[in-house]
Parts: sequence; C-alpha cells; structure tokens
Amino acid sequence: MLDVRDVVTAYGKIEALKGVTLSVAEGRITCLLGPNGAGKTTLMYSIAGILKPRRGRIALKDREITGRAPDQVVQAGVALVPENRLVFPQMSVRENLTAGAYLRRDRAGIAADMERMFQRFPRLKEREGQLAGTLSGGEQQMLSVARALMSRPRLLLMDEPSLGLAPLVVEEIFRIVTELNRDGTTIFLVEQNAHMALKVAHHFYLMEQGRVSFSGTPGEVEEAEVIQRAYLGSRRAD
Amino acid sequence: MIDLAQSIVDGVLFGTTYAVIGIGFTLIFGVMHKINMSFAAASIAGAYSGLLVFLLWKTAPPIVVFATSAALAGLIGYAIYLLCFRFIPIASPLATLMSTVGMLLLVDEIIVHLTAGMPLSYPAIYDGYPIELGQLILRVDLLLVFLVCLVAMAVLLYLLYRTRLGIATRAVAQQPVAAQLCGIRLTQVNAITFVMTGTLGGIAGAMIGASVGVLSPLLSLPLTVKGLIVTVIGGLGSIPGAIVAGLLVGAFENVFQMWRGVTERDMYVMLLLFAFLVFRPGGLFRIAGARD
Ligand SMILES: Nc1ncnc2c1ncn2[C@@H]1O[C@H](COP(=O)(O)OP(=O)(O)OP(=O)(O)O)[C@@H](O)[C@H]1O
Ligand SMILES: [Mg+2]
Repeated sequence: MLDVRDVVTAYGKIEALKGVTLSVAEGRITCLLGPNGAGKTTLMYSIAGILKPRRGRIALKDREITGRAPDQVVQAGVALVPENRLVFPQMSVRENLTAGAYLRRDRAGIAADMERMFQRFPRLKEREGQLAGTLSGGEQQMLSVARALMSRPRLLLMDEPSLGLAPLVVEEIFRIVTELNRDGTTIFLVEQNAHMALKVAHHFYLMEQGRVSFSGTPGEVEEAEVIQRAYLGSRRAD
Repeated sequence: MIDLAQSIVDGVLFGTTYAVIGIGFTLIFGVMHKINMSFAAASIAGAYSGLLVFLLWKTAPPIVVFATSAALAGLIGYAIYLLCFRFIPIASPLATLMSTVGMLLLVDEIIVHLTAGMPLSYPAIYDGYPIELGQLILRVDLLLVFLVCLVAMAVLLYLLYRTRLGIATRAVAQQPVAAQLCGIRLTQVNAITFVMTGTLGGIAGAMIGASVGVLSPLLSLPLTVKGLIVTVIGGLGSIPGAIVAGLLVGAFENVFQMWRGVTERDMYVMLLLFAFLVFRPGGLFRIAGARD
C-alpha cells in the first residue's frame, strides 16, 4: 500500500532521515519502533507532505506522492493522527470533526460519518459542543483520531497515540486501532509501547538515528536482542 | 454633564470604525502570527481609491463610492499579502515587521504623491438634520456609520463561525500543522484573510472619510496607532475584545477632545495604552478555553 524508498529529509543541514526504506502492507497494522530522536515523526510528516524529502520516493499504491502538498496527500487517501494530538483548542468537538472532513463535499456522507464517530467515541458525543482545548488528554486523543477518520482515509498514520495516557485509555486506543483495521483501514503506527504494539501489529520496523535497523514479524521482534533490551525490558518468563 | 453624555455617545458611535480596524489587525495576527503595520494606512488608501469612481461617473452616489472603496481595499489587501508576506521568510520575526512598516510608508507616500498632499473631500453618508432626543443630539451620519460597521462585523463573524471558510481560517489560526493535515491550504487561507480584512478596513476607511467629510494623508498614522491600541486593550487575537476596545477608545478620545481639545486628545489615548500595558497586558479579555 505504502512504499518508502531511500527517503532523506533534513532540517537545514542536519539529516533526520538518512535514507529510509520500508513498506506498509495493505489491510495490515504496521508498527514503527524507535528511540527518541530517531526520526519517526519526521518520517510521518514526510509522508503527510508537511515536510519535503530531499531525496527518495514515497508511493501510495504505485502512485507517487513524494513532495506533494498535504491536501493532495489527504485527497490520495492518507490521514495522519499527529504526535501530541494537535486538536484545534478553541473549536468545539463537532467543529474539529468538520475540519477533518474539509476536503469532502458530500454533506450527507459527512453527517453520517459524524454520527458514526459519535457512536465509536461516546465520550465525544457527550462533549460535542465543548471546546477541544478543555478536553482531557485521552479525550483529545480520541478526537484527533476521529478527526483524521473524517477524511475517510484508506491509510491511517498514527504518531504515538498512547503518549502520556493512562493504561486504561491506552487499552481503549489499541482496541480502536484493531477495530479500524478490521473494518478495512490500513494502519501505520509509531509506538514506544512495544508490549501493547505486539498485541495488535502484524509487522514491525525499528528505526535508529534516521535509518531502519530492523524489520520483522511479532515473533521475530520477541526474539531480537536489540528490541528486547530497549523496549521489552528483561526477557519475560512466559 | 450633558456634554459628557453627548461626547460619549458620539465617541461610541464613531468608535465602531476603530473596532473594525482593530479586528483587522487582530485577525491577521491570529492567522499569520504577525502584525501587519500597514493595515490602517491601506484602509485609508482603500477609502481614497473609492474616489476613482468619479473619474468614470461624475455624479456617482455616495454608496457606490463606499462600495468601491471596500472592494479596492480588498484588492490592496491581497497586494500587501503578496508583497509583504508571501515571499518573505516567515520564520524571521523582524522580516514582516520591516516589510509592513515599509509598506505603511510607501502607501502614505503614494497618497501624498497622487494628491499633492492636499485633502480630498469624501462624500457624506447623510447630510440632513440630526435627531434630538431630549437634550441629546443624535448625529444621523454617525448613527449610519455605526450601523454600517456593525453590519460589517456581523458579516465577518458569520463568515468565521458559520461557514467552511471560517472553519479553515480558525483552524489555521489555532493549529496550522493540523489544519494542513485536514487538507486546508495555508497560502490560500492567508490570502483570503488579507482580502477579507482589507475589505473590512476599506469599509472603516470609507466610514471615517464619510463622517469627517475629507480624506487626508494625515489620517493614516493616528489610525494605525489607534488600531494597535485597540488590539492591545482588547487582547491580541480576540475579536470581542477588539469590538469593546474600539468603542472604549472612541468614547475615551471624544471625552478628552471635549475637555482638552482636538490637539491634545491623542496624548491621553497613548497614556491609556501605557496604562493597559502595565496593569493589564493581556487585554480586557484573556482568551479562555485553552488548557495549556
Ligand atoms: N523542527 C526541527 N528542526 C531541527 N531539527 C529537528 C526538528 N524536528 C526534529 N528535529 C531533529 O530531527 C531528529 C528526529 O526527530 P523526530 O521528531 O523525527 O524524532 P522522533 O523519532 O519522532 O522522536 P520522539 O520519539 O521523541 O518523538 C531529532 O534529532 C530532532 O532533534
Ligand atoms: Mg516523534
């Protein structure tokens, strides 16, 4: 579904991505692990069109989207749930969702999807008219996911959706990720919480210092020494 | 006492023009996070450009002049966006300050050059008798200025809070990265904001011209300062703040004009600015609702 090849993205002279190659299989959940500063967010922004890669190629189902403006990437069927949620703080929950559907013109479809979001996230329904800036962290994360879904993406990118959330809320987020995937959305997820990710993802990449240093299945992740040390703590008894 | 009441009424009515100018400053700041120093000068230039109608139509009614002022001011707003913001590095906080101060001076120079520095008469909005309300005298022209500005503000608020364009504009102002992720194009929203605020400024400029009766290059600097004062008092980025502050500044300056005369009044308005900066730097309304 998504093919990233030799992508180099730089901030001024510093290359944050030094030639990243990976691919995301259609209908699957792919997870990207990596320490702070590895370049995970930079990769997400490069795919979404917020940052322009210096070199390399990003393709969505054989259609090249490298260096396209963000609105064209959304139009191509990709949505990003950004790191730190980035809700519109002075807009109501409903207006945030309306903004998510900005490029769509089918009013009836938008209204139906809005109702669907409220069914999937009942907490948002209760807070429909409340300003997003006054929601709790978990609620803001739900809103950020729902807003991304309002564009009806085929590929959903999620950058650390569990960051700073209580364990129960993290469980809920992962339950939603699985549900979305079961309903046919391909998911590419950045996650530090490897234990949680192992329960849902089908394929893993590890990124370190701007390069992909590991690629494997959940089974291979559990075996890999590098990941064991950094993400799973000591070897578990089971 | 009746003099005081009269001054306040006149001041509040005329103050809506300051409110509109203040909204222009505030809205551009909200979307671009930059001050457009040339905004008030461009609004006066917009008012001037409405007079071009007389080249084609010698007996054009005032309303046509006002409408032309507003429309051409929107165009001027777009030109200012292109010249002062579009291709200037946004990351540098000083760059756009310099470019817009430069634009303020350029606009004034152009006006002085084209009019040889002489004031031009501007059509009045109404020249009948005032209405007497007991001891108070209600100037109908000021009342109409007030109504026109009120309608302009209402239209703007409608656009911002009830339309797709408004969602895009507020999204860009509040969280530009997320706005882009929703498919909203920054450059498009920025350009539209300049056209919208430009038009608004042109309406204010036209109403100022209509109530003073003349346009003069001397109008633009004091209007710039008052627009900035209104934004400080109202709180940078706050539209309700700009409205209330505009009326307040209008009343305040008119009261001091009555007590101290027209040559001294602006000094007291400046003192009001300092008082606010010291005692209430966030303005009358601090933006509520943000958690962090
Ligand atoms: N706007 C920026 N300007 C300059 N350097 C940046 C910028 N954003 C990120 N970087 C640098 O690029 C590198 C990769 O950052 P990035 O945010 O992509 O890491 P990350 O893997 O998402 O980390 P985290 O897990 O902390 O979110 C880091 O060294 C960071 O300092
Ligand atoms: Mg990150």
